[in-house]
Amino acid sequence: MSRTIVVAMLMSIALSGNAFAKGKIAYFAAASQNGFNQATYEGVQEMAAARGYETEVFDGQFDAAVQFAQVEDVLASGNFAGYIIAPNDNVGIAGAVEQVIAAGQPIATVLFPIGPEMNSLEPQVPGITATVASPPVPGATLQAEAVVEFCVDKNPCNVIILIGAKIFPFDNLRLETYQTVLAQHDNIKVLAVGEGYYSPETGLNAMTDMLQANSDVHAVLSNADQQMAGAEIALEAAGYNVSDLYIMGGGAADIAIEALREGRWDATLAYFPKTMGALAMEQIANAIEGKPVRNAINMDFEGPVQALITKEVLNANPDFEAEWQQ
Amino acid sequence: MTYVPVLRFCQTYAVLIMIVLLVIALTLLSDSFLTVPNLLNILNQNAPLAIMAAAMTLVIIAGGFDLSVGSIFAVGAVCSAWLALNVNPYFGLLMAPVVGLLLGLMNGIVITALNVHSFLATIATSLIFKGAAIVISDGRLIPVRMDAFTWIGRGKLGGVFLSIWVLLVFALILTFVLTRTSFGRKVLAVGGNADAAILSGIRANRVRIATFAIAGLAAGLASAIATSRISMGQASAGTGFELQAIAAVILGGTSIFGGVGAVWRSVAGVFLLALINNGFNILNADPFYRDLTTGLVILAAIGISSAGKKRDH
Repeated sequence: MSRTIVVAMLMSIALSGNAFAKGKIAYFAAASQNGFNQATYEGVQEMAAARGYETEVFDGQFDAAVQFAQVEDVLASGNFAGYIIAPNDNVGIAGAVEQVIAAGQPIATVLFPIGPEMNSLEPQVPGITATVASPPVPGATLQAEAVVEFCVDKNPCNVIILIGAKIFPFDNLRLETYQTVLAQHDNIKVLAVGEGYYSPETGLNAMTDMLQANSDVHAVLSNADQQMAGAEIALEAAGYNVSDLYIMGGGAADIAIEALREGRWDATLAYFPKTMGALAMEQIANAIEGKPVRNAINMDFEGPVQALITKEVLNANPDFEAEWQQ
Repeated sequence: MTYVPVLRFCQTYAVLIMIVLLVIALTLLSDSFLTVPNLLNILNQNAPLAIMAAAMTLVIIAGGFDLSVGSIFAVGAVCSAWLALNVNPYFGLLMAPVVGLLLGLMNGIVITALNVHSFLATIATSLIFKGAAIVISDGRLIPVRMDAFTWIGRGKLGGVFLSIWVLLVFALILTFVLTRTSFGRKVLAVGGNADAAILSGIRANRVRIATFAIAGLAAGLASAIATSRISMGQASAGTGFELQAIAAVILGGTSIFGGVGAVWRSVAGVFLLALINNGFNILNADPFYRDLTTGLVILAAIGISSAGKKRDH
């Protein structure tokens, strides 16, 4: 009889996963086959393991409708104690987030706030547990001001801007910020604005085309390292010594950190996805356990190094490693 | 009556007429457009897609569709980068077309063995191939900053990019195969009327398998060039290339129903679309109007082509 009970208990443990876990946390990746989202999930997993939780990742396939349905399905399953989401549509997903909140379960957002105001980390959906993100405008301002500093002794200082894609609201905000900051300095001339679509190949093609019509480039300002990597190839092919130019990337991915250490690039605006995922998971665990929760976490001030990474920053932090691979 | 030859000419050469009109417009709008470096730049940027479209022509003429070439491109990209890093850069470049050929062959065998429409079969295989590319790369970029790897994508011969030479040779070979060999005649026959072709002794399935193998080979070759150029392999490479290649083939004037077409038409179709992208970047124009313009240009090309057809009827 007792043997039957032990077998039943073992089967129950096997079916339910870790018997000692405090609960299971769902991570809704914008897309799971993506270096940034994978790094965020690694952070979630590590913190979850440390706090005694299990995790499961859901692939949003860069599709807002897919992600909305996933949140509803997972909520309906009743198997999860908390939720972390990297939203594909920061406004549209609010409806699904409200359902989770109405069910009394904690939910945190990473990378972007939930709601129409991209620069505000304060809760825009009442009841959301935590927003762990980098507001686009302050970061873009830091990037543009670094270009201004480089250009201070150059007149004219010719700049090419490589933005992700104008169809994305956050990239439009960044582009407007770049243009506003640079326009305040008469010596700075923006030669062209291209779209890199966060792809090395598209960045290469856009930069190659722009270099056909523009010469004497002094600085390239990009919001993403991936497209900057392609643009660098185009600059080299056009005869530029890239080390002589001011090259600003965005993301602090491994290729950017390598380029900074080698002296090819000058700066990258950092994102720390692993730290971000860990912080989001920490708030969810705190909420479940009734501990104090930080509702708004600005990732510009929470990384292992400062947000604008230069070679000097890396020299001062020789052990720093990029938190994600592209 | 005097309009008939003009309309026929328009129908036959709609894609070339649109290219000429766009070239004139862009030349008037920008001093930087009609220059040798920019024209070489356009050819170089679009050589991989043109190679794929050239091969897709044979698939469509034979009555098929290959929606997996974008995924084959992705597998070729990550395989070549991985092999370049871990084995040898030259071996990596060589293996991309070989892998493409094998995957294309697999497509052809699946389609003929299961007797399913290529449209459906290649949707399934494209998912399999894309999944394989993600597994090989672990969803990450594979940077290969080696001169021994980047030469084919960035090198020049006689002042012209190697990729353009590869495109030229590949397109000429396919044109020769399609117009001067018995295999080419069989491709046209199978696409024109498969039943009649079979009754006349043509092994239609073998012909179809061969066209898919050639499309796979082309996707692999294109991926080797593109990966070499950006010195980076990625599983997301080639996304949407299958539709761009098919669009270029149809835009060029090859019949969507099979049996009729030409390789040069598809290459011209690629460059018609490429001119729009290049024009937007050179003119620093608002990209919000890019899709609108592309759609209008495609519509104009179709309009010119159909004007001749209506008159024929």
